Amino acid sequence: MAKRGVPLALCFVMGVLMAVQFFVPHPLSRYVYENVLDWMQIVSVFALAVGVIGLGRIHWRRVVVRRAGWRYSIATLAGLAVMGILGVVGGIEQGTPYAWLFRYVQAPMQSTMMSLLAFFVVSAAYRGFRVRTREAGILLAAAMVVMLGRVPIGEAIHRAIPIASNWVLNVPNTAAMRGITIGIGLGAISTSLRIIFGVERSYLGVE
Amino acid sequence: MAMTTIGIWVAAILTLAIYSFLYRDNPIYKLAEHILVGVSLGYFVGLYWHTTLIPKLWVPLVEGGNVLVLVPLAMGLLMLTRFSLRWSWLSRVPMAFVIGAGAGVSIPTAVDARVYRQIEATMIPLTSLSSVILVVGVAATLVYFLFSVRHEGALGKVATLGTWFLMVGFGATFGYTVMARISLLIGRMQFLLGDWLHLLAD
Amino acid sequence: MPDPRTEREHGFERPEPRRRLKNEAIARLGQVDRRILYLAIAVAVVGILFRPLGLRIPVTDEVRRVYDAIEELPARTPILISFDFGAPSMPELYPMTVAVVRHCFRRDLRVLGLGLLPEGASIGAEVLDSVADEMGRVYGVDYVHLGYKPQIEAAILGMGEDIVRVFPRDFRSQPTAEYPVMDGIENYRDIPLMVGFASGTEMVLWIQYAGARYGQRIVSGAAAVMATVFYPYLDSGQIEGLIPGLRGASEYEQLIGMTGRASRGMDAQSVAHLLIIGCIILGNVGYLASRSRRGEG
Repeated sequence: MAKRGVPLALCFVMGVLMAVQFFVPHPLSRYVYENVLDWMQIVSVFALAVGVIGLGRIHWRRVVVRRAGWRYSIATLAGLAVMGILGVVGGIEQGTPYAWLFRYVQAPMQSTMMSLLAFFVVSAAYRGFRVRTREAGILLAAAMVVMLGRVPIGEAIHRAIPIASNWVLNVPNTAAMRGITIGIGLGAISTSLRIIFGVERSYLGVE
Repeated sequence: MAMTTIGIWVAAILTLAIYSFLYRDNPIYKLAEHILVGVSLGYFVGLYWHTTLIPKLWVPLVEGGNVLVLVPLAMGLLMLTRFSLRWSWLSRVPMAFVIGAGAGVSIPTAVDARVYRQIEATMIPLTSLSSVILVVGVAATLVYFLFSVRHEGALGKVATLGTWFLMVGFGATFGYTVMARISLLIGRMQFLLGDWLHLLAD
Repeated sequence: MPDPRTEREHGFERPEPRRRLKNEAIARLGQVDRRILYLAIAVAVVGILFRPLGLRIPVTDEVRRVYDAIEELPARTPILISFDFGAPSMPELYPMTVAVVRHCFRRDLRVLGLGLLPEGASIGAEVLDSVADEMGRVYGVDYVHLGYKPQIEAAILGMGEDIVRVFPRDFRSQPTAEYPVMDGIENYRDIPLMVGFASGTEMVLWIQYAGARYGQRIVSGAAAVMATVFYPYLDSGQIEGLIPGLRGASEYEQLIGMTGRASRGMDAQSVAHLLIIGCIILGNVGYLASRSRRGEG
């Protein structure tokens, strides 16, 4: 009972408290509100710790039992240890070894990893973008107008292309995205209410 | 200066290691990928230590004597019970705290920012073709999302119109996505050819 | 050997050999090896980086509005700049952050930087320190980097009450309140404009929490992949201007009179887009040919 009841009750109290606070600008209400916001941040440090310990354990076990690819896990553990220790001991601002590792190891690799998608998007455009239906045709037409209209060569081809591109973005695209925004907004509100009233409990996990 | 040069060489070698995946999956790519996972995680450790743990917990508690921060500290420690089969249910308490508070703060602001202000901006004088298309488009898209009613007859036609607007939106997003991905490639090429090999004019 | 009667009953006949060969050749257009495509895009981008075309980039209204919003602020006005993106989006967003920070320093604004995505904090430090060095701005007097805080909603909301409470120490681990640049700044009420650079939906959270709740004026720079999402907010005035992707960055560079990486990359962007459009057309021609061949076969 306590295993589910306590978290559900806490969730309800916190949800109602923070929602009501919006309408009650009393000093006491503000005091509670500011503390809760601080506490949310402090708790998330431990959520990160759970992630670091969890991933560290997975790779440590792989090394210990010599599972396939265990040598790669040594690289992960070494990266974690070096970056983590240098960060904690040496600081994180510019000019520290931590900042150097971020700038010349982490950031280039992450950027490059993401830029691989440029190659995949060419392949996807070539293999996957088939005009099989009217909807696919509309999608393709809009994509082409934006792709051409947002680069300088579009204007070089014809002056009307960037104008058409701006119109597509500011009128029909805005209409569609506004519909989605309102839909997401209503969905977020209903999900929040479901969480507060304990209807949505997936965050509790399974027993 | 020397560290910058070494750094650029390290970054270039790692960049090429990642690009080697384009030919096929290989040990050099895998090594780089695993280093990246470790370093990224280590990045979080250093960052959270200096930006949150020390200034928001350690300093207020030890230097400021603020015992109130013992509450989130206790909740945070409960989070670590996830590693115990017997006590892992306790980690639901901090989860409930954060999720409940997050849900509470989001309701009034979501109503205002995502619903009210968006509807308000659609209530415009229909003085041009574009304004008519905008209003019709928003209405048709919303009708498409109305799943509690069967899309038949006139409603079905409006919902179909809604899908056309959505396709324009998705098409524009695809166009921009292509742009984004190509920009990333350009950035990396500028690094390799410019910063590393000094082949590009400044 | 297929029965010709069955084929006629189904409404199609075997094509002549020459026509069939032509159809097969067209159908093969849909079967180019992916590595050839990879090579084509790499060659296209690299080639144009070496030989730029120098095409004109017209400035759009949404980018100009960001420029105007900053331009009209009086000297020494505080401005908040949030670097809410990670290293994966750096090649796209970094150039626009450099251009905007340069503009702010040129206008002699007091810059308060922060990053509510973990990596954004380090990127923000890099941008602020490098542009400040270049323009002779002093840390703590002309700008400060507040750093990172987890729980983005809590951080944005907390800053609406008390910025120093959310960031008691800056990214350099020094007490934030002691910097002269923070004089007279308590919360959003003291900051006339906020610029958010986001790779994802973080900007929506700024709109929802800082904008809707505290009335903060916002302009934004966004990764192109998310740009379409922000147009409804631009139309409603919840954000007053938008710099979308590398193209937006190149426009901004033009507005402040600098030729940065974004401007230099736009020609390569043009050629790459043409190549992708070509790929889509080629793929569809191949697809239609193979479909008609299947029909024939």
